[in-house]
Formats: sequence, structure tokens, C-alpha cells
Amino acid sequence: MTHSRTLKGAMMIGAYLLATTMLTMPGQALAEDRPEITVAVQQIVNAGALDVLREQSNVGARVFYSIFETLIDYDRQNADLPQKPGLATEWKRIDDKTVELKLRPGVKFHNGDVMTADDVVFTFSKERFGLLDEQDSARKDGKTLFTASASAAVGGKVPPAEVAAVAKRAWPNLDRVEKVDDMTVRFVSTVADPTLEGRISRYGAEILSKRAYEEAESWLAFAQKPVGTGPYKVVEFKPDNILVLEAHDDYWGGTPPVKTLRFAVVPEVASRVNGLLSGEYDFITDLPPDQINTVESNAAFEVVGGPITNHRLMVFDKNNGPMQNAKIRQAMTHAIDRETIVETLWDGRTSVPAGLQWSYYGDMFLSDWTVPEYNVELAKKLVQESGYNGEEITFRVLNNYYTNQVSTAQINAESFRQIGLNVKIEMKENWQQIFDKESGPRMVRDWSNSAPFPDPVSSIVNQHCQNGQQQQVGEWTNEEFNALCIKLETSTDLEERRASFRRMLEIAEREDPAYTVLHQSAIFFGKRKDIEWNWSGLQSMDFRAANFQVVAPGN
Amino acid sequence: MVQYLLMKIFRALVTVTLIVSAAFVVLRLSGDPAIIILGPEAPPEAFEAFRRNWGLDQPIWVQYFKYFAAVFQGDLGNSMRDGRSALVVVGERIPLTLAITLPALFIKLAIGLPAGVMAALYRNTWVDRLIMMLSVAGFTVPSFVLGLVLAMIFAVWLGWLPSGGSDTWAHAVLPTVTMGLVGAAVIARFTRSAMLEVLGQPYIRTASAKGLLWRDVVRNHALPNAAIPTLTIIGFLVGSLVAGAVVVESVFSWPGVGRLLVNAVANRDLAVVQVILLLVGLTMVGANLAVDILYGIVDPRLRIKRLQAGS
Repeated sequence: MTHSRTLKGAMMIGAYLLATTMLTMPGQALAEDRPEITVAVQQIVNAGALDVLREQSNVGARVFYSIFETLIDYDRQNADLPQKPGLATEWKRIDDKTVELKLRPGVKFHNGDVMTADDVVFTFSKERFGLLDEQDSARKDGKTLFTASASAAVGGKVPPAEVAAVAKRAWPNLDRVEKVDDMTVRFVSTVADPTLEGRISRYGAEILSKRAYEEAESWLAFAQKPVGTGPYKVVEFKPDNILVLEAHDDYWGGTPPVKTLRFAVVPEVASRVNGLLSGEYDFITDLPPDQINTVESNAAFEVVGGPITNHRLMVFDKNNGPMQNAKIRQAMTHAIDRETIVETLWDGRTSVPAGLQWSYYGDMFLSDWTVPEYNVELAKKLVQESGYNGEEITFRVLNNYYTNQVSTAQINAESFRQIGLNVKIEMKENWQQIFDKESGPRMVRDWSNSAPFPDPVSSIVNQHCQNGQQQQVGEWTNEEFNALCIKLETSTDLEERRASFRRMLEIAEREDPAYTVLHQSAIFFGKRKDIEWNWSGLQSMDFRAANFQVVAPGN
Repeated sequence: MVQYLLMKIFRALVTVTLIVSAAFVVLRLSGDPAIIILGPEAPPEAFEAFRRNWGLDQPIWVQYFKYFAAVFQGDLGNSMRDGRSALVVVGERIPLTLAITLPALFIKLAIGLPAGVMAALYRNTWVDRLIMMLSVAGFTVPSFVLGLVLAMIFAVWLGWLPSGGSDTWAHAVLPTVTMGLVGAAVIARFTRSAMLEVLGQPYIRTASAKGLLWRDVVRNHALPNAAIPTLTIIGFLVGSLVAGAVVVESVFSWPGVGRLLVNAVANRDLAVVQVILLLVGLTMVGANLAVDILYGIVDPRLRIKRLQAGS
């Protein structure tokens, strides 16, 4: 009996101490006050896993910035997207091939581990990339897909082959990442690489916890519940349904302002809008321009968003029919009324860019470059000079894979007819049908290009040079252009790089058109008006304290 | 009877095999999962690696025989999107779908059957016209339109119910009611037709002529005879319990089998599509068998005919 009383007393004292401690700790009190926020998205990730090297769509970028971080970050709400320290506090060039970075002290992963150089080295290791011979053999055996490998040498993890392929493409010249000391690392390229800092900052270079990866049962287990350094940690992930994140209170950048962050999949636009207006969701994404007024007609909500680091293109296959003649392709580039498309379909909320480049390229941005001018007379003249005899030009289009895609295609097809071209729109269901050679000659299709880091290598080289999609699927090639690709990628002379880039744009956008830029892509979010929050041109959603605040009524 | 059932099951297996084969060929020929799942901006090497990993680089007939060989060994394959067993992926969605389709079936029957009977009994009166007007409206308005309208009224304007999701029982109300109302309209029309046909039969006149109360005529002679065609449509509704909520699940963001099917078809995630088709096929077959057995219970003439055919 005495023992029981003593225990009870001790428990009461303990409870009292706990209560008083909690009341006197502002951080903890704040934690209790923090809101739960629900973001309705069309899709969380397309590839079904939270791995930046597998998810290559732009939808993943929205959620990953809450979970992971890179060594070099961007001031994401600034339209110019300047680079800023991330998990590295400073960096410097050692030589043409080497960049050294000092790691931020006191950064904790979601599992409580402090980030060190070992985690960084591991993140860029062959093991993480799935490039070890044992991993390759395991994949070839076909027995270890997504599962733990029998080989202890690879820590039991065999990422799917596409992870290895994406890693190779993201880091084509990376020789190694070496640890200088616990808080210093060096990225070393095999050749001179002027884009190394850009690649270190890009989507796909997020730092993972080495221990968490090694302790996970399989690659898939880690990709379902990854461990990063971001302000929110993964609690629950059900692909096609929901991603629940919880505040990582040890976050180095300050206490996260949201207690629970939920990304709920709501495929239908009308349902997302209804959910926002009924208070079910605090944010909705992928809002098409024609729904903006519906949201803004309610005083409690507003729409934010605008141009992103992605351009919509029309792509040409120069091997077939009339498209073999450069003058036809040139005529098409002059027949497109880009400004009207932006004004009518986008309500003027995006812009016509200066070709396939973004101002955040910094020194590599060619400010005097423009897309081909809209000039119907010139376009007609070019068609006449080409000797075009009315052959059918097929234009393959997906059903609004891109926002306003069908309407844009219809406007452009009409513009092409106006200059005398016999254009026929062919609606396709998926990308394979777009690329298919068997169902008829490929001629014109839609596409978009992103720039994952601030250098033309990230877009024009990645997508249109020898290893880019357009040449890989056999749509287009140009000898001079290909030689310039190598120069742009490896030269460290700024003027030489700028000149190479300019000439590449001249070839691909004017002389021997590979593609033509239509407009800058834009994204729009509907949100509660009482939440102060800004969108990013990098498409990430930032729920850190500096970018999220619930405003009290009357403020 | 056993022979009859075996024949039914054999036919069902042939049907399911044909469905799965057709789906295999159509899905394989009409889309490349590599580009769809990895996205058009992924590097070409990633597409090749993906295809190699999943055997998509092999001729379609090789893929087809490998798939069936695995199925006969009990391996229904893995989802290409997240690598998990397709059976597990589908299995975890089934309870969610049944959570709305079963109550919806109850609503369909609870409203549709009495409404159909009433319309038939009060044929050409305002009762009949009102019920039929609502019924026509119910099955001509697409369920996604009805769903959005209900969400607009009860979620946006009145704020009584959530507009989408699956967190609480309240989230199930609107999808259940949407499906229930549409299905009730269909059942009401079928029941009315069946009842009208029966009410015109000579035995109904005979029953009335021999002095039975109209209530007893309806209860003992009309309803049992009208039950047979109605059972057929109810069997179909039961058969579609698993994947019959495709549209409503999309409108209300309900993460059930229907939405999984839409995503799996869009992504050409073949193993998942095939598991759902197998499941739908088996449910349909099960429901049809149950209806066949019920026919015998409801109508002794059918039971005797089958017994005679079996002996």
C-alpha cells in the first residue's frame, strides 16, 4: 500500500513538472497551435515512389522540397531564382573539375542523425545510384526488382534500373564525391565541368541519410518512407491517395509552421475547387486558368502562381514529308501568334520567353534573343519558296496533358492553314502513340522542356543534343549543332559558351528548326486568403516558416 | 445441378480468360508504360532500362505466355509503379470500395423497388408520372454531374458534408447517395416494367375474379412473378460492387478500386489492371450463379426444369 501511494505521488509530481515544463517552453506551446494543412493535388508522384531519381515528372517537385534538401538551394520565391546556401554554407571552385563545399553544422535528418560528409558521399555513391556491378547483376537476374538483394555487398538495396539510368544522365561526368573532413566534401568531375554547381543544386541531388537507407528493408521500403533533412518527415504514403507529412521539429531552419501537412490526391479539377471552397482543402494545385475566376469570386480565397522554369514547345520531325524542308518548319515558327495564345488562353498570366532559355541562367542568358516573330506574310512567302504542294502535315496532340494543350493546338493548326499548310490534328492517348513510327509519318508534336539548373546544358543539351530525347527518338539531328553541344558542356570560357549557345539557338530555332517555343508554362494554386504563402518558379511548394503564415482576422 | 454449376463455372473461366487476354493485347499495343510512368522528360536510357526490367522489350507473345505461366503458378505480378504485389495493391482498395458500394446497393433497392412497384400499381396516374420523371432524370443525368451538383449543394453551399476524401464516415455519404440515387432510378424502371407485364397476365385477372383482395393479389401473385427480371438487374448490380464506382470515386476522390483501375489503365500498369479484371469477372460470375440459384428458389418451374435436364 505504501509503495502504491509513493508511486501515485511520484506520478502526480511528474505530471505537474511535465505540465509546467510544457507551458514554459514556447516551442512546444507553438507546436500545439500549429495548423494541419491539406493540399489537394492532381497526383502526388507519377512513378509511385518518393525517390527523386525515379520521379522525373514535375509533379513530384511539389512535395519533395518539404522532405529533402540540396547542398546548394535557390531563393525559390524570388522570380530570378538566385542560388543560396542550402545544406552547404559555402562553396568554392578548386579547379575546372572540382568544387569544394562546407556542410552546414547541426543539420539533423528525420531519424535524428546529424548530417555529415558521409551522408553526402553516400548520396552520390554508385550504391545509391544503383550502379554497382552486383546491383546490375541482381537486376539482370530479374529476381531482385524493388526488393532486397541477397548480396550483402550492396547493403541489400537494388534500385530499379531507371534510377541508375537517371543518375547517369544527371551526373554524366561525375568521377567521385570525396570526404575532406566530417564537414567538407569535394565534387570531382572527369572533365572540366562549368555546370557542377548547377548540378549540385538541381532536383535529383537531394541529400539522403546513409544510415536510414542502409537500414531500410529494400529500395522500395526507403522510397515509401524516405529520410531527408527537410522540414517535414513522411508519416504515411499511399500512392494515388495521400501523403501525410509531420513537422520535423529538429529542422535546422527553424520550427516548421505546420503540424501536419497532407497532400491528398483529387484528380478532378471541379472536385478540387469544390473542396477548397467548402473548406475541405487549404490549397489546391493544377488550377487551369479558366477556373481562376471561380475561386477568386469567393472573397475568402485567392489564386497565386505564374510562369515556371518550363517552356511549352512544338517539336518537328525533319525526316518525313514536307517537314524535311526547313522552310516549311521556319514558316510554321512565324505563323504562330504566341501573344494571342498567352492573352486568350492564359489570361495574360504567363509570357512568351526568349527562346529555350530562362533569365535565371545568369551570365548565360542571351537577353537579346527572341522567338521567331509572328509574321503571316513572311510565313506565306516561306511556304511558297518551299515548293509545298499541299501534302498533309500531321500534328499529334494529347488530350490536355499540358494545360490548354488542345486549344493551343487548334489555334496553331488554324494559323498553319492560314498560311496554306494542310494540317491535320491527330488526337493520341499517350506518349508511345505520339512517338510511334508505325501508325504513320511523325511530323509535328507537342512537348515541354524544363531547366533543372541555371545553365543551357540543363535544357537544350539535355533534351535536344545527341543524348537528348529528340535525337534519341530520331526526330532531328544537325552536325554543327551536335559539335556545339560538346563545346557548351565542357568549355569553361564564358564567352565561348555564350557564342556556342547563341549559335545553337540560331540553328535549332531559326535555320533548321528542331522545335519552336510557344510560351512559358505556368502553374496556379488556389488557396485560403488568410494564409500568406508564395509559389515558386521551380514548382516546389515551400511550407517553411519564412514562406507560411496564417494571418489572424483583421490583420 | 452440379453439372449445371460446373458448366457455368467453365464458361465463366473462358470468359475471364478472354477478357484478360484482350486487355493484355490492347494495353500492351496501345501504350508504353515506361514513357507513361517515368514521364516524357526522363532520359531515353531510363525508358530502355524500365522496359528491360519489366520484360517489355520482349515480343508480345512471349510476354503473354510468361504472364499466363506466372498466373497459373499463383503469381499475379507486381505493379510497375511501386513494385508491390498487384494483389496487395488491389486488395487494400476493396474494403474502401465496398464501404460505399454496399450502402449504395441498399439505397438502390430500398428506393428503387418500392418506387417501381408503386409506379406500376398507379400506372398513368400522377404517382406513376412523378416516379418515372424522377427515374428518367436519375439515369440520364451522368453520375459525375449529379455528384458535382450534390457536392456543390451539401459541401460548398450548406457545408454539411465533406466534398471529397475518405477520412471519416461523413466522406462516404455523398458518393454513396450519388450511386444510390442513380441505381435506384434504374431499378425503379425495371421493376415497373416487370410489374406491368405481370399485372397484365391472365392469372392476375383470375386471382382478382375469384375475389382475392387486390393487396393479396399483388403480394402473392404479382410480386413473386415480377421478381425474376428484377433479380437479373440486381444480380448485375451486385456483380459491379467491386469496380462499379469508377466515376463516383474519381469525383469524390474516394481511393477505391475504381480509381485504381482508371490510374492503372492510364499508366498501363498491366498486372494491376489484370487483377481488377479477374476480380470483376469472378464477382460477376459469382453474382450470376447466385442469381441463377435464386431463380430456382423464386420460381419452382425453373428448379423442376433444371432437375429434369440434369436427370
